[in-house]
Amino acid sequence: MGEPAVSAQGLTKCFGAVCACQGIDLTVAPGEIVGLVGPDGAGKTTAFRMLCGILPPDHGTARVAGYDVVTQSEAVKARIGYLPQRFSLHRDLTIDENIQYVAELYTVPRDEWQSRREELLEMTYLAPFRRRLAGRLSGGMRQKLALVCALVHRPEVLFLDEPTTGVDPVSRRDFWKLLHDLPRQGVTMVISTPYMDEAARCNRLAFMYAGQVLATDTPDNLRRQLPGELMQVRCRPQREAREALKRCSAVRSVEVFGDRLHVLFHGTADPMLCERLLADAGVECLEQQPVEPSLEDVFMSLVSEHGLTATATGNGL
Amino acid sequence: MNYRRLLAVARTESIHNLRDVRSLFVIVVLPVVLLLLYGYGINYDLRNVPFAVQDLERTELSRSLIQHLVSSGYFQLRQVIHDQRQIAESLDRAAVVFVLVIPPDMGRRLGAGRPAKVQVLVDGADTTRASVAVGYIEGALLAFSGKLGAEYLARQGLSAAGGLDVRPVVLYNADLKSVRFIVPGLMAILLTLLSGLLTSTCIVREREWGSFETLVTSPALPPEILIGKILPYVVIAFADTLLSIGAGALIFGVVPVGSRLLLLFTSFLYLLASLAIGIFFSTIMRTQRLAILTTTLVTLVPTIQLSGFAFPIRSQPLVLQVISNFIPATHYLIIIRSLYLKGADLLVLWPRVLALLVFTVVLVTVAARRFRKQL
Repeated sequence: MGEPAVSAQGLTKCFGAVCACQGIDLTVAPGEIVGLVGPDGAGKTTAFRMLCGILPPDHGTARVAGYDVVTQSEAVKARIGYLPQRFSLHRDLTIDENIQYVAELYTVPRDEWQSRREELLEMTYLAPFRRRLAGRLSGGMRQKLALVCALVHRPEVLFLDEPTTGVDPVSRRDFWKLLHDLPRQGVTMVISTPYMDEAARCNRLAFMYAGQVLATDTPDNLRRQLPGELMQVRCRPQREAREALKRCSAVRSVEVFGDRLHVLFHGTADPMLCERLLADAGVECLEQQPVEPSLEDVFMSLVSEHGLTATATGNGL
Repeated sequence: MNYRRLLAVARTESIHNLRDVRSLFVIVVLPVVLLLLYGYGINYDLRNVPFAVQDLERTELSRSLIQHLVSSGYFQLRQVIHDQRQIAESLDRAAVVFVLVIPPDMGRRLGAGRPAKVQVLVDGADTTRASVAVGYIEGALLAFSGKLGAEYLARQGLSAAGGLDVRPVVLYNADLKSVRFIVPGLMAILLTLLSGLLTSTCIVREREWGSFETLVTSPALPPEILIGKILPYVVIAFADTLLSIGAGALIFGVVPVGSRLLLLFTSFLYLLASLAIGIFFSTIMRTQRLAILTTTLVTLVPTIQLSGFAFPIRSQPLVLQVISNFIPATHYLIIIRSLYLKGADLLVLWPRVLALLVFTVVLVTVAARRFRKQL
């Protein structure tokens, strides 16, 4: 398919003693939706900023839409759309005015952006609110407006930094519907998210933790990557159960998912072993069954494999 | 440079100002209020200075002295004091600015060819007014004394020959009206205030709002952003310049004697310099509040203090006099006062105009170099 839409090698950026990104490698083929998945502080935003040509990396190189992000950053900027994590349009401008502002910053010819604006407002159902100030829009509508503005100049690559964080579930679903239509229009997307359910909607994922990419693959392949089998256990009291299971050499790791424990074995899951361990610890086992690994299981396992500590909510740096 | 991007930034900046009540206030109301307040309120001219008299002599002569003061138009007799204690009391109440005490032997001493002493007690609480008043009183008394002398000589059949006849001629502002001095000064204050304060927030505000990220990620070039940001303020500040020139002429009758073109040109230079200072602090400060504060501190305060607007530079300590040379307002004030009052031309004013030009170029360059398209 020719040149990849995004290709990064060894992107590194440190702020003083803290390294937000340490050797990020990423390749995105045209038309793909690639998700950067990781907790807050994993370095997703810094990676985005380097890829968008607004933050020069300390080391490493990257090409986006065919241009070098350091030496040809303005050419990169003209060919990408970037939706920052924080709402970054003008609150005291209306929807229409914001779109015009962005369109002219990207020097889209007037008749072109005007028809494009209609099309995008139609698509996002924002047309009835076009004269409303951006500051008076709901969170979901604001994100749609940001998306419209990021698309008005027909970018080749769209970078979305946690676009649905802080957006209600219904609006999140709407937003993703819009995103899924974009590859057909020839837009390549890199999207960051802390949500695993959103990650599952991407073609390919890059798991990020503490400034590093731990794994890159399709969601299905990543799930298969889990070294060993998984057993889901519901028991009381949970804390003792977890301690007991962790002590066993056949158990690779134990993660808490609400009132359930996910027990990852080295190799095959052994229900008998699990039961015995719990009984010995005086824990009442309510339910246990083998389960297919979720992306979260894979992520947690990768994190602990790297000798890094993390909690299920994830707090990196 | 792409003019569409530049105009997009400029249009958005204008919309911010039009929709923000605070900046609308600064743009429209502030200049008018300041102009009226300063034009009418600050008046160094004294008229009808209230005074009291304790006439201990009560003769033809003493009455003619009082009449002489009153008829000058500068003084107004408010009270005739009969009791010593009333003097302090009426000065304390600020009912009068000074009390004239005529001794009982004034006529006798003068008649004997000896000097007579007249006492003037001045309320020094308001030093400016007091010193102006003292000057007026001295002048009036001196004139009266001269008149007496001449009359005396005339009675002796002699004419007042010889001696120094001082006749000061005040040039440029012949009737010493302070409004002619204040209106140009006010223009400097207005331009400093408007251009400095308005631009001091325009970059840092976008940072605070997060909208700077849109600019940074767009292909707009730094000069396009910077000029786009400044453009509305150049227009606003220039319009306000015209407004104050117009108001000065229509309301106060103060019209520049010198070249109007030079007035507009130097005003333009000065507003650019002020805008550059504002932009500079807007790029380096983290919050709007901090940017406004520092800009005010380095522009408006020294402009009022050092530029000779309120206090004459020559009466200030030498250090401050030297420092005042490094404030654009000092040069701008000298230029516009010369243009307004003296009708000076470029042949005379060129060192000041040059200084202003250098300031403007340096400040704009520094601000432009400091501006980064970075978060």
